Amino acid sequence: MSNFLQYTIFGIMLGAGYAIAATGLVVTYTTSGVFNFAQGALGMIAAFCYWELVSVDHVPVLVAVLVVVVLGGAVAGALVERVLMRRLHGASAERPVMVTLGLLVILTGVATIVWSPTTSRSVDNMVHGQFRLVGINIQYQEVLIIGVALAVAAGLRALFRSTRSGYALRAVVDDPDLLAMAGVSPNRMSQYGWMLGTMMAALAGVLLAPTQTSGISIAAMTLLVVNGYAAAIVGRLRSIPVTFAAAVAIGLAENYVINYVLPHLPQNLTPDITYALPMVFLFLALVTLPSVRLRAVGRLTTMRAPRVAGGFESIVAGLVFFVAAAIVAITFANTAFKGTTVLDLGGLIMSLGIVGLSLVLLTGYSGQVSLCQFAFMGIGAFVMGKVAGGGSVLGLLAATAVCAGIGALVSLPTVRLSDLYLALATFAFADAVATGFFADNHIYGAGGVSIGRIVLPGLSFGGDQAEFLMVTAFFVLAAWLVLAIRRSLFGRRLVAVNDSPAAYATVGLDIGFTKVAVFAIAAGMAGLAGALYGTVQGVVGQTDFAIFPGVIFVLFVTIWSIRTVSGAFLAAVTYVVLNQVWPNGVGLFAGLGIILIGRAASGLLGIEALQVRLPWVKGSPDTAGVRPAAPLGGPAMAGGSSRVAG
Amino acid sequence: MSPAEGSAAGADVLTVSDVAVRFGGVAALREASLTVRAGTVTGLIGPNGAGKTTLFNVVSGLQHPDRGTVRLFGTDITRMKPHRRARLGLARTFQRLELFGTLSAGENVQVGLESSVKWWQWRHVRSSFPTIRNRRADGAEARPTGPGSTAVVTSDRLLDGVGLAGLADRQSSALPTGSARMVELARALALAPKLLLLDEPGSGLDDAESQSLGELLTTLARGGMAVLLVEHDMELVMRICEYIYVLDFGDVIASGTPDEIRTNPLVQAAYLGAVAGPADGSAGGGGNRVEA
Repeated sequence: MSNFLQYTIFGIMLGAGYAIAATGLVVTYTTSGVFNFAQGALGMIAAFCYWELVSVDHVPVLVAVLVVVVLGGAVAGALVERVLMRRLHGASAERPVMVTLGLLVILTGVATIVWSPTTSRSVDNMVHGQFRLVGINIQYQEVLIIGVALAVAAGLRALFRSTRSGYALRAVVDDPDLLAMAGVSPNRMSQYGWMLGTMMAALAGVLLAPTQTSGISIAAMTLLVVNGYAAAIVGRLRSIPVTFAAAVAIGLAENYVINYVLPHLPQNLTPDITYALPMVFLFLALVTLPSVRLRAVGRLTTMRAPRVAGGFESIVAGLVFFVAAAIVAITFANTAFKGTTVLDLGGLIMSLGIVGLSLVLLTGYSGQVSLCQFAFMGIGAFVMGKVAGGGSVLGLLAATAVCAGIGALVSLPTVRLSDLYLALATFAFADAVATGFFADNHIYGAGGVSIGRIVLPGLSFGGDQAEFLMVTAFFVLAAWLVLAIRRSLFGRRLVAVNDSPAAYATVGLDIGFTKVAVFAIAAGMAGLAGALYGTVQGVVGQTDFAIFPGVIFVLFVTIWSIRTVSGAFLAAVTYVVLNQVWPNGVGLFAGLGIILIGRAASGLLGIEALQVRLPWVKGSPDTAGVRPAAPLGGPAMAGGSSRVAG
Repeated sequence: MSPAEGSAAGADVLTVSDVAVRFGGVAALREASLTVRAGTVTGLIGPNGAGKTTLFNVVSGLQHPDRGTVRLFGTDITRMKPHRRARLGLARTFQRLELFGTLSAGENVQVGLESSVKWWQWRHVRSSFPTIRNRRADGAEARPTGPGSTAVVTSDRLLDGVGLAGLADRQSSALPTGSARMVELARALALAPKLLLLDEPGSGLDDAESQSLGELLTTLARGGMAVLLVEHDMELVMRICEYIYVLDFGDVIASGTPDEIRTNPLVQAAYLGAVAGPADGSAGGGGNRVEA
């Protein structure tokens, strides 16, 4: 019984910490309409700053808290709003998601440079000592966290429900123009919202840091907030009391599962399940959410559509690309760059290019944000390594099929919700797979999984040149496939479901089916890419498919252009080359790039001044003026329409 | 007078019974009921905020009602998903444009035309890949001649029918509002609907275009289609509608033939009273457009 009470108190304390982070998310979302993926990273930076002040500079705890949470949180929040978010007003829906992800990788990148990951850092409790109550020991730190969380939730509830400023903070998302007409600056209100939200993130980071018994780490502190995501979703990103209750419930459930369920399971499963718990909670939260109504909001995409290459044009371009790759294969056969052969780097570029193409299909065309393509790559590589000896075409097929199936399962719970929830679900899935599956020595093994080079009857791709050209051929085929899909009936539907879900549904098309189908295809492509990546690398391990590299790659594709094949290829080149030159700086480049590109939805390649028109390519979207319309009706309408039958 | 008595119309296509919708503390619809019959243009009028678009959303499945039922050809579709309703023959346009903005006008219509096509069928997959026959002498891609070609031809025909001949290749988001509304209409007609819901299709049209729209809707109704029209252009409504419902604050306050609506004191007080002069469409020299 005393154990149960002890676990309960610790669970409530853990949940209270999640609640602070989650209410911060709710505050930011309520006041700006933006889900801040960098919430965990902001908390992580706060925790490290707090450790620096208290443990290194011996600043009194209260002063350190005030400096980090109140001053640091407020200034950081104000800067984020002013520098990053304000300029995104009116941008496409996925752009703020990308920018907060950019902030996430910048903060983790900076933290990696400033605080070496190899150094152990423990954070002491803010208040020491304990007392006994009904036979159990309760630490004052636990009481402090629970008390602070309750005070924060009650204070925010009162602010939003009972004060004029609270009404203004909520109104800024609903109708900023109307708010301005009432004499309140929407920008200022939004800035206050970000300041509050960031202070909550910092407070959560500082309070949860001492609970990390093995010391604070950049990845763990950043991802600690995933449980906060689940709580915020249960609260539908609106309700602070529901969010708080959900966070406490999650903290309790987590602690009970760890202490009562895991001891009865095989020991090797324990870490996997522990790491997977946040994702399980998040998925449960997503599944239980009621469907989002398809609102007809009068949204009209005004973005200039990228020209889609015609069938012959893409065949010619693909063949030219392949010939150029063959010339590279001959010219640089024995050349190395920073310790890796150029052909191996080329193979990595081509395989990552296929992942980029999967994002073109998924995000560029259908508007769904996925942050778990690297997870599918990892699963694909794993399947490739385990099927038919690790170097067969059968492995490629199995990797593609398995990932497509898992992709369909991942997307199923979220298709009835808005795209933000898919981004969240994929983030949680990537986290769970990376930490609970790839990191398990029983799965990937301490030394990683060996994947041989592909051998066909009478044809071996064992040589570097043959291997490079084979992966290049797969990239070209994948590019043809993506372009063919875009030109097809299915491609039109992908674009249509992104442009107007309401109209899509009312012309008789099933949104859920389309979204699951494209997600499965994209996951299958990423799985294939992972299998090819494995054949190039020879051995793959957990570090190849971690969550942050996956996010960084998505950002590079977005920076170049997530709607074009060229963008996918250039993103792969940038990612691979930067990783060779300055591995610790890749995140910084990606984060700064996505911030600098701002609201240019089509990326660098969509900027008119940077576009190169090939002289023999005819036709482009014409957005010039329109001739006066002819009178309506006429003979063409006399017979009505003849609907095309399937 | 009921719609059945008011016209020589066909069977009931749409029956909305006692539908109520609340948004928080605001009642957008309270016990609203109406019937739309085959072969008629039925008007739904009312001031802004009366609940017309909410009613359209309830009928098309974008909004679930708190109470009441919606029946299409006698089948209860109250809880049915929007795409399933569309497959039963219901199509609509939107008050605020909902085009597939990245697609061309022709492709918008094509999406509607091909909505019953299964994209994974090989003949449709194959048509996405180039063939020698598709190559034109000038090097450009010819318009498809495979399974999708029927849709291309028909979409051109539909666009021609709504007055947008030659605009099939224009990106739809670049079209002026009036033309964009006609693309929406063509896309809805591409479904070959039995019930067509039009939410202010005349907005953005000039007098001549509005006249043509009226003739087009009358022609469609004559062919057996049931049309439910929300429109602020009273002259158009009074001219082409056989039966009219008037919504005010979520309630159906009156219904009847145009003549009955014109003379209904409740309507005059609640709605037409906002306009100076008689509401017969003849006042003010031209269109008697109510901006409530």
